[in-house]
Amino acid sequence: MPEQLWVTAILNRLFAAPVTALLRAIHMEPRHPQAPIPNTFAMEVLVFLFLLALFLMLRSRLSVERPGALQHIFEGAQGFIHQQSQEIIGHHSEGYTPFLATLGFFILFCNLIGLIPGFESPTALPIVPLGCALCAFFYYHVQGFKHSGVAYLKHFAGPMPILAPLMIPIEIVSHLARALSLTIRLFANMFAGDMVTWVFFSLVPIGIPIIFLGLHIGVSFLQTYIFILLTTVYLAGAVGEEH
Amino acid sequence: MPGLDEFDNRRDPDKRESMWLQLARYSQLAVIFPAATVVGLLIGVGLDRWLHTTWLYLAGLIVGIAAGFVELIRSVVKNAD
Repeated sequence: MPEQLWVTAILNRLFAAPVTALLRAIHMEPRHPQAPIPNTFAMEVLVFLFLLALFLMLRSRLSVERPGALQHIFEGAQGFIHQQSQEIIGHHSEGYTPFLATLGFFILFCNLIGLIPGFESPTALPIVPLGCALCAFFYYHVQGFKHSGVAYLKHFAGPMPILAPLMIPIEIVSHLARALSLTIRLFANMFAGDMVTWVFFSLVPIGIPIIFLGLHIGVSFLQTYIFILLTTVYLAGAVGEEH
Repeated sequence: MPGLDEFDNRRDPDKRESMWLQLARYSQLAVIFPAATVVGLLIGVGLDRWLHTTWLYLAGLIVGIAAGFVELIRSVVKNAD
Protein backbone atom coordinates (compact mmCIF):
# COMPACT_ATOMS: atom_id res chain seq x y z
CA MET A 1 0.00 0.00 0.00
CA PRO A 2 1.37 3.48 -0.82
CA GLU A 3 1.65 6.23 1.77
CA GLN A 4 -1.71 7.97 1.93
CA LEU A 5 -2.91 11.28 3.29
CA TRP A 6 -6.07 11.07 5.37
CA VAL A 7 -8.22 12.51 2.58
CA THR A 8 -6.85 9.93 0.16
CA ALA A 9 -7.49 7.15 2.67
CA ILE A 10 -11.14 8.24 3.03
CA LEU A 11 -11.60 8.46 -0.75
CA ASN A 12 -9.97 5.07 -1.25
CA ARG A 13 -12.14 3.49 1.44
CA LEU A 14 -15.25 4.88 -0.25
CA PHE A 15 -14.42 4.59 -3.95
CA ALA A 16 -11.57 2.05 -4.34
CA ALA A 17 -13.78 -0.69 -5.83
CA PRO A 18 -15.60 1.42 -8.49
CA VAL A 19 -12.37 3.27 -9.46
CA THR A 20 -10.45 0.01 -9.87
CA ALA A 21 -13.34 -1.42 -11.91
CA LEU A 22 -13.40 1.71 -14.09
CA LEU A 23 -9.64 1.56 -14.68
CA ARG A 24 -9.83 -2.12 -15.58
CA ALA A 25 -12.72 -1.39 -17.95
CA ILE A 26 -10.39 0.88 -19.93
CA HIS A 27 -7.61 -1.76 -19.73
CA MET A 28 -5.45 -0.03 -17.13
CA GLU A 29 -4.27 -2.07 -14.20
CA PRO A 30 -3.82 0.10 -11.07
CA ARG A 31 -0.58 -0.53 -9.18
CA HIS A 32 -2.48 -0.87 -5.91
CA PRO A 33 -6.00 -2.20 -6.57
CA GLN A 34 -6.93 -1.57 -2.91
CA ALA A 35 -5.90 2.09 -3.17
CA PRO A 36 -6.11 3.23 -6.82
CA ILE A 37 -6.62 6.92 -5.95
CA PRO A 38 -3.28 8.74 -5.49
CA ASN A 39 -2.72 11.68 -3.12
CA THR A 40 -2.49 14.08 -6.05
CA PHE A 41 -5.96 13.24 -7.30
CA ALA A 42 -7.43 13.37 -3.80
CA MET A 43 -5.97 16.87 -3.35
CA GLU A 44 -7.35 17.96 -6.70
CA VAL A 45 -10.81 16.71 -5.75
CA LEU A 46 -10.51 18.57 -2.46
CA VAL A 47 -9.55 21.82 -4.23
CA PHE A 48 -12.41 21.31 -6.68
CA LEU A 49 -14.96 20.77 -3.89
CA PHE A 50 -13.57 23.72 -1.95
CA LEU A 51 -13.83 26.03 -4.97
CA LEU A 52 -17.34 24.77 -5.72
CA ALA A 53 -18.46 25.41 -2.13
CA LEU A 54 -16.72 28.80 -2.10
CA PHE A 55 -18.37 29.97 -5.31
CA LEU A 56 -21.80 28.63 -4.32
CA MET A 57 -21.49 30.55 -1.05
CA LEU A 58 -20.32 33.62 -2.94
CA ARG A 59 -23.19 33.32 -5.40
CA SER A 60 -25.78 33.20 -2.63
CA ARG A 61 -24.31 36.30 -0.96
CA LEU A 62 -23.89 38.52 -4.01
CA SER A 63 -25.13 41.99 -3.30
CA VAL A 64 -24.97 45.16 -5.34
CA GLU A 65 -25.69 47.53 -2.45
CA ARG A 66 -23.52 45.97 0.23
CA PRO A 67 -20.82 43.72 -1.23
CA GLY A 68 -19.05 41.65 1.41
CA ALA A 69 -15.28 41.20 1.82
CA LEU A 70 -15.30 37.91 -0.08
CA GLN A 71 -17.18 39.49 -2.98
CA HIS A 72 -14.67 42.35 -3.04
CA ILE A 73 -11.73 39.92 -3.18
CA PHE A 74 -13.15 37.85 -6.02
CA GLU A 75 -14.44 40.84 -7.97
CA GLY A 76 -10.95 42.32 -7.67
CA ALA A 77 -9.31 39.10 -8.91
CA GLN A 78 -11.78 38.74 -11.77
CA GLY A 79 -11.37 42.40 -12.68
CA PHE A 80 -7.59 42.02 -12.68
CA ILE A 81 -7.68 39.04 -15.05
CA HIS A 82 -10.27 40.79 -17.22
CA GLN A 83 -8.19 43.96 -17.48
CA GLN A 84 -5.04 42.02 -18.25
CA SER A 85 -6.64 39.93 -20.98
CA GLN A 86 -8.14 43.08 -22.46
CA GLU A 87 -4.67 44.62 -22.50
CA ILE A 88 -3.10 41.61 -24.22
CA ILE A 89 -5.86 40.17 -26.42
CA GLY A 90 -7.88 43.28 -27.23
CA HIS A 91 -11.45 44.45 -26.97
CA HIS A 92 -13.04 41.05 -27.69
CA SER A 93 -11.43 39.38 -24.68
CA GLU A 94 -14.56 39.12 -22.45
CA GLY A 95 -15.37 35.57 -23.54
CA TYR A 96 -11.99 34.27 -22.43
CA THR A 97 -11.99 35.70 -18.90
CA PRO A 98 -14.08 32.90 -17.29
CA PHE A 99 -11.68 30.19 -18.48
CA LEU A 100 -8.61 32.15 -17.42
CA ALA A 101 -10.09 32.99 -14.02
CA THR A 102 -11.17 29.39 -13.38
CA LEU A 103 -7.79 28.01 -14.36
CA GLY A 104 -6.08 30.65 -12.23
CA PHE A 105 -8.13 29.92 -9.09
CA PHE A 106 -7.66 26.18 -9.51
CA ILE A 107 -3.87 26.48 -9.87
CA LEU A 108 -3.63 29.03 -7.04
CA PHE A 109 -5.53 26.85 -4.57
CA CYS A 110 -3.63 23.74 -5.72
CA ASN A 111 -0.41 25.62 -4.96
CA LEU A 112 -1.58 26.98 -1.62
CA ILE A 113 -3.15 23.81 -0.23
CA GLY A 114 0.33 22.40 0.39
CA LEU A 115 0.86 24.99 3.13
CA ILE A 116 -1.75 23.36 5.35
CA PRO A 117 -0.28 20.55 7.47
CA GLY A 118 -1.72 17.20 6.43
CA PHE A 119 -2.13 18.22 2.80
CA GLU A 120 0.29 18.44 -0.11
CA SER A 121 0.39 20.55 -3.27
CA PRO A 122 -0.88 18.54 -6.25
CA THR A 123 1.09 20.91 -8.49
CA ALA A 124 4.36 19.62 -6.97
CA LEU A 125 3.94 16.51 -9.16
CA PRO A 126 4.29 16.95 -12.94
CA ILE A 127 0.99 15.31 -13.84
CA VAL A 128 -1.27 18.10 -12.52
CA PRO A 129 0.61 21.02 -14.16
CA LEU A 130 0.64 18.91 -17.35
CA GLY A 131 -3.15 18.58 -17.16
CA CYS A 132 -3.54 22.33 -16.66
CA ALA A 133 -1.09 23.08 -19.49
CA LEU A 134 -2.94 20.71 -21.85
CA CYS A 135 -6.23 22.41 -20.93
CA ALA A 136 -4.68 25.76 -21.84
CA PHE A 137 -3.11 24.27 -25.00
CA PHE A 138 -6.36 22.79 -26.32
CA TYR A 139 -8.36 25.82 -25.25
CA TYR A 140 -6.30 28.33 -27.21
CA HIS A 141 -6.25 26.14 -30.31
CA VAL A 142 -10.02 25.59 -30.16
CA GLN A 143 -10.56 29.34 -29.71
CA GLY A 144 -8.20 29.96 -32.63
CA PHE A 145 -10.29 27.68 -34.85
CA LYS A 146 -13.50 29.29 -33.57
CA HIS A 147 -12.15 32.74 -34.31
CA SER A 148 -10.67 32.26 -37.78
CA GLY A 149 -12.02 28.87 -38.90
CA VAL A 150 -9.78 26.75 -41.12
CA ALA A 151 -7.70 29.87 -41.84
CA TYR A 152 -6.22 29.35 -38.36
CA LEU A 153 -4.05 26.61 -39.89
CA LYS A 154 -2.28 29.34 -41.87
CA HIS A 155 -0.61 30.37 -38.59
CA PHE A 156 1.41 27.18 -38.81
CA ALA A 157 2.59 27.70 -42.37
CA GLY A 158 4.80 30.72 -41.70
CA PRO A 159 4.93 33.98 -43.62
CA MET A 160 5.88 32.55 -47.05
CA PRO A 161 4.19 29.56 -48.77
CA ILE A 162 7.54 28.30 -50.00
CA LEU A 163 8.79 27.95 -46.43
CA ALA A 164 5.69 26.02 -45.30
CA PRO A 165 7.23 22.49 -45.36
CA LEU A 166 9.99 23.77 -43.08
CA MET A 167 7.80 25.92 -40.86
CA ILE A 168 5.02 23.41 -40.17
CA PRO A 169 7.16 20.94 -38.16
CA ILE A 170 8.91 23.84 -36.42
CA GLU A 171 5.57 25.42 -35.48
CA ILE A 172 4.16 22.11 -34.23
CA VAL A 173 7.22 21.57 -32.05
CA SER A 174 7.18 25.13 -30.75
CA HIS A 175 3.48 24.89 -29.81
CA LEU A 176 4.08 21.60 -27.99
CA ALA A 177 7.10 23.18 -26.32
CA ARG A 178 4.79 25.86 -24.92
CA ALA A 179 2.73 23.19 -23.17
CA LEU A 180 5.91 21.56 -21.85
CA SER A 181 7.36 24.84 -20.65
CA LEU A 182 4.14 25.74 -18.81
CA THR A 183 4.21 22.32 -17.14
CA ILE A 184 7.85 22.38 -16.15
CA ARG A 185 7.83 25.92 -14.80
CA LEU A 186 4.87 25.35 -12.50
CA PHE A 187 5.97 21.88 -11.41
CA ALA A 188 9.62 22.81 -10.83
CA ASN A 189 8.78 25.92 -8.80
CA MET A 190 6.27 24.17 -6.56
CA PHE A 191 8.51 21.12 -6.13
CA ALA A 192 11.50 23.32 -5.30
CA GLY A 193 9.39 25.35 -2.85
CA ASP A 194 8.30 22.17 -1.04
CA MET A 195 11.85 20.79 -1.03
CA VAL A 196 13.43 23.98 0.34
CA THR A 197 10.86 24.15 3.14
CA TRP A 198 11.38 20.48 3.90
CA VAL A 199 15.21 20.70 3.94
CA PHE A 200 15.22 23.71 6.25
CA PHE A 201 12.58 22.09 8.42
CA SER A 202 14.86 19.07 8.88
CA LEU A 203 17.86 21.34 9.67
CA VAL A 204 16.19 23.91 11.94
CA PRO A 205 12.66 22.87 12.91
CA ILE A 206 11.72 26.16 14.61
CA GLY A 207 11.39 29.62 13.11
CA ILE A 208 13.39 29.37 9.87
CA PRO A 209 10.88 27.23 7.90
CA ILE A 210 8.30 30.03 8.36
CA ILE A 211 10.41 32.26 6.10
CA PHE A 212 10.34 29.59 3.43
CA LEU A 213 6.62 29.03 3.87
CA GLY A 214 6.24 32.77 3.23
CA LEU A 215 8.39 32.38 0.14
CA HIS A 216 6.20 29.47 -0.93
CA ILE A 217 3.10 31.69 -0.71
CA GLY A 218 4.83 34.30 -2.88
CA VAL A 219 5.92 31.68 -5.41
CA SER A 220 2.39 30.21 -5.49
CA PHE A 221 0.89 33.56 -6.47
CA LEU A 222 3.67 34.42 -8.90
CA GLN A 223 3.53 31.07 -10.70
CA THR A 224 -0.25 31.24 -11.00
CA TYR A 225 0.09 34.72 -12.45
CA ILE A 226 2.76 33.61 -14.94
CA PHE A 227 0.73 30.58 -16.00
CA ILE A 228 -2.37 32.70 -16.63
CA LEU A 229 -0.39 35.45 -18.30
CA LEU A 230 1.32 33.07 -20.73
CA THR A 231 -2.00 31.37 -21.50
CA THR A 232 -3.38 34.84 -22.28
CA VAL A 233 -0.37 35.61 -24.50
CA TYR A 234 -0.86 32.32 -26.39
CA LEU A 235 -4.59 33.03 -26.70
CA ALA A 236 -3.76 36.45 -28.09
CA GLY A 237 -1.48 34.76 -30.64
CA ALA A 238 -4.31 32.44 -31.68
CA VAL A 239 -7.20 34.92 -31.80
CA GLY A 240 -5.35 38.23 -32.13
CA GLU A 241 -6.23 40.66 -34.91
CA GLU A 242 -2.67 41.20 -36.13
CA HIS A 243 -2.39 37.71 -37.62
CA MET B 1 23.78 57.70 -22.18
CA PRO B 2 20.02 57.86 -21.66
CA GLY B 3 18.75 57.05 -18.20
CA LEU B 4 16.20 54.33 -17.60
CA ASP B 5 13.36 56.84 -17.26
CA GLU B 6 14.30 58.53 -20.49
CA PHE B 7 14.42 55.19 -22.26
CA ASP B 8 11.00 54.32 -20.88
CA ASN B 9 9.52 57.65 -21.90
CA ARG B 10 10.38 57.01 -25.51
CA ARG B 11 7.70 54.38 -25.61
CA ASP B 12 4.03 55.04 -25.88
CA PRO B 13 2.94 55.28 -22.22
CA ASP B 14 -0.24 53.29 -22.95
CA LYS B 15 1.78 50.41 -24.31
CA ARG B 16 4.35 50.33 -21.52
CA GLU B 17 4.17 46.98 -19.78
CA SER B 18 4.18 46.54 -16.05
CA MET B 19 7.20 45.05 -14.35
CA TRP B 20 5.32 41.83 -13.56
CA LEU B 21 4.24 41.42 -17.16
CA GLN B 22 7.83 41.78 -18.29
CA LEU B 23 9.05 39.40 -15.60
CA ALA B 24 6.57 36.78 -16.75
CA ARG B 25 7.45 37.24 -20.39
CA TYR B 26 11.20 37.06 -19.84
CA SER B 27 10.99 34.09 -17.48
CA GLN B 28 9.50 32.28 -20.45
CA LEU B 29 12.73 32.66 -22.42
CA ALA B 30 14.76 30.46 -20.08
CA VAL B 31 12.38 27.52 -20.37
CA ILE B 32 11.13 27.65 -23.94
CA PHE B 33 14.46 26.80 -25.60
CA PRO B 34 15.23 23.56 -23.72
CA ALA B 35 11.52 22.64 -23.83
CA ALA B 36 11.43 22.91 -27.63
CA THR B 37 14.63 20.86 -27.92
CA VAL B 38 13.26 18.11 -25.67
CA VAL B 39 9.89 18.05 -27.48
CA GLY B 40 11.67 17.79 -30.85
CA LEU B 41 13.85 14.95 -29.59
CA LEU B 42 10.87 13.10 -28.07
CA ILE B 43 8.87 13.38 -31.31
CA GLY B 44 11.91 12.11 -33.25
CA VAL B 45 12.42 9.15 -30.90
CA GLY B 46 8.70 8.37 -31.07
CA LEU B 47 8.74 8.41 -34.87
CA ASP B 48 11.87 6.22 -34.88
CA ARG B 49 10.10 3.60 -32.77
CA TRP B 50 6.93 3.80 -34.81
CA LEU B 51 8.55 3.66 -38.25
CA HIS B 52 11.53 1.45 -37.25
CA THR B 53 14.09 3.98 -38.46
CA THR B 54 17.30 5.08 -36.76
CA TRP B 55 17.84 8.66 -37.87
CA LEU B 56 14.59 10.52 -37.23
CA TYR B 57 15.63 11.32 -33.65
CA LEU B 58 18.42 13.49 -35.07
CA ALA B 59 16.03 15.24 -37.46
CA GLY B 60 13.61 15.76 -34.53
CA LEU B 61 16.42 17.18 -32.41
CA ILE B 62 17.42 19.65 -35.14
CA VAL B 63 13.79 20.70 -35.72
CA GLY B 64 13.42 21.10 -31.94
CA ILE B 65 16.49 23.35 -31.70
CA ALA B 66 15.25 25.37 -34.68
CA ALA B 67 11.82 25.69 -33.07
CA GLY B 68 13.48 26.86 -29.84
CA PHE B 69 15.33 29.58 -31.72
CA VAL B 70 12.22 30.61 -33.65
CA GLU B 71 10.18 30.93 -30.45
CA LEU B 72 13.05 32.70 -28.67
CA ILE B 73 13.60 35.24 -31.46
CA ARG B 74 9.86 35.74 -31.89
CA SER B 75 9.31 36.59 -28.23
CA VAL B 76 12.38 38.85 -28.07
CA VAL B 77 11.28 40.72 -31.20
CA LYS B 78 7.75 41.04 -29.80
CA ASN B 79 9.14 42.39 -26.52
CA ALA B 80 11.36 44.88 -28.34
CA ASP B 81 8.39 46.42 -30.20
